[in-house]
Amino acid sequence: MIKWILIIILVVAIMMIAYSVSEQIKDKYDFFNNLKQFLNEFKINLAFRQEKIDEFLKKNNSKKQFKIFIEEYSNFLKTGEVYLEKIKVLEDEDKQMLQDIVKNIGKYDAKNEINQMESFLLMVDEKLAKANEDKNKLCPMIIKLSLLFAMGLAILLI
Amino acid sequence: MLKDYLDREIYNLITKTFSFSEITEIRMRANENLIVVVKNKKYYLKDDNGEFVKISKNIIENFVRRASENSIYAFNDNIVNGFITLAKGIRVGMCGNIVTDGDKIVTVKDFQSVNIRIPHVVRNCSLPAFDYLVNEDVKNTLVISPPGSGKTTFIRDFIYQLYTHNISKNVLIADERNEICSVINGEPNIDLGGFCDIYTNCTKKFAFKNGIRSMRPDLIVTDEIDLEKDLDSIIEAINCGVNVIATIHAKDMNQLKKKPNFDKILNEKFFSRFVVLSSDEGPGTLTNIYDEKLNCIYCRCV
Repeated sequence: MIKWILIIILVVAIMMIAYSVSEQIKDKYDFFNNLKQFLNEFKINLAFRQEKIDEFLKKNNSKKQFKIFIEEYSNFLKTGEVYLEKIKVLEDEDKQMLQDIVKNIGKYDAKNEINQMESFLLMVDEKLAKANEDKNKLCPMIIKLSLLFAMGLAILLI
Repeated sequence: MLKDYLDREIYNLITKTFSFSEITEIRMRANENLIVVVKNKKYYLKDDNGEFVKISKNIIENFVRRASENSIYAFNDNIVNGFITLAKGIRVGMCGNIVTDGDKIVTVKDFQSVNIRIPHVVRNCSLPAFDYLVNEDVKNTLVISPPGSGKTTFIRDFIYQLYTHNISKNVLIADERNEICSVINGEPNIDLGGFCDIYTNCTKKFAFKNGIRSMRPDLIVTDEIDLEKDLDSIIEAINCGVNVIATIHAKDMNQLKKKPNFDKILNEKFFSRFVVLSSDEGPGTLTNIYDEKLNCIYCRCV
């Protein structure tokens, strides 16, 4: 009986790890998707309402990792320092790109800001495409492989 | 109030030496000493080691960043005119590299110097002139003084005095540089009484034309007119039966007479009163009042 319980726990644990890894990949995709949306909305803001950044940030109601980014951005406006360590799903290269975005938004007139947004959007589009590819390829593969691995391990143990 | 904008060390040094209630100007120029102006006297501030405080370009850039709330684009209309207005009517004049597109000024970058002018509400400073300017009606008045001599302070107090004297006029304020009322997010930061409608950050032409149509003002108050550019709007308002109080930069009447269109003003008697201010006994010192024929009806005793 204990043996069966242990096997079930093992299978569940393996599946949970696989699920959390695939969730991270999905979160990364969601993050870049939110970032793209954020930059597009900011571009519209520049063209029409021209709200100040802090007012614009207050209206953003994103969740999960992008919420952390918005909080860190708000802190940057007060302190002048950007800390992105809390955003777990991103690599150093992605964080560097985010730092560039945060530090450069708001430095120019609206026309040049819009031009800047276009170039940021091109960078984000690349990241988004890569994250989408990872999400579509890796997530099902991780789940399938871990399921196979868990089943194999279970059979061996039985 | 400048705590949020100034470099922390500089803010601490200034507050250690002066009270903000007496400072009228803070000047920061890249690679030059910090200057604080108190009661028309310039002071070069020293740090704890007795060295003059030198301003770096970085300090200026950071100041502009904070003053524009990290959103230069939102303040660009003001920046191209060389200033930003902060809370409490603090006006930040700024110089730098002007970026143009043809004849149009696009923006300013690489800020080299800033001049922070801190306004002070001086209650009753317009009272000595009040009876000369208000009879049954408010007279069309031109307030004359060199920069920094209290024109804006004078008209602010005059508007407030209308309110306290219960002269119930609809006052339209054409505040092109948002300096008279310092409206931030739709709320005036300076109390001018309860009779005011305020247009901020718009041209005088727009404010006069649309204000007369839509707000039915009895009196229009505006700052720093240009006799070449703004005279038509003023004439239109006066011809519509709306009184006008305006300010203009000039040292005295002799200098004003040299300005373009002054003959027209005088011949047509658009203004009934000319109030001359100076800094002789601090900003806003009432020096002379002239009537429409330029007869001196008030002269300060020296």
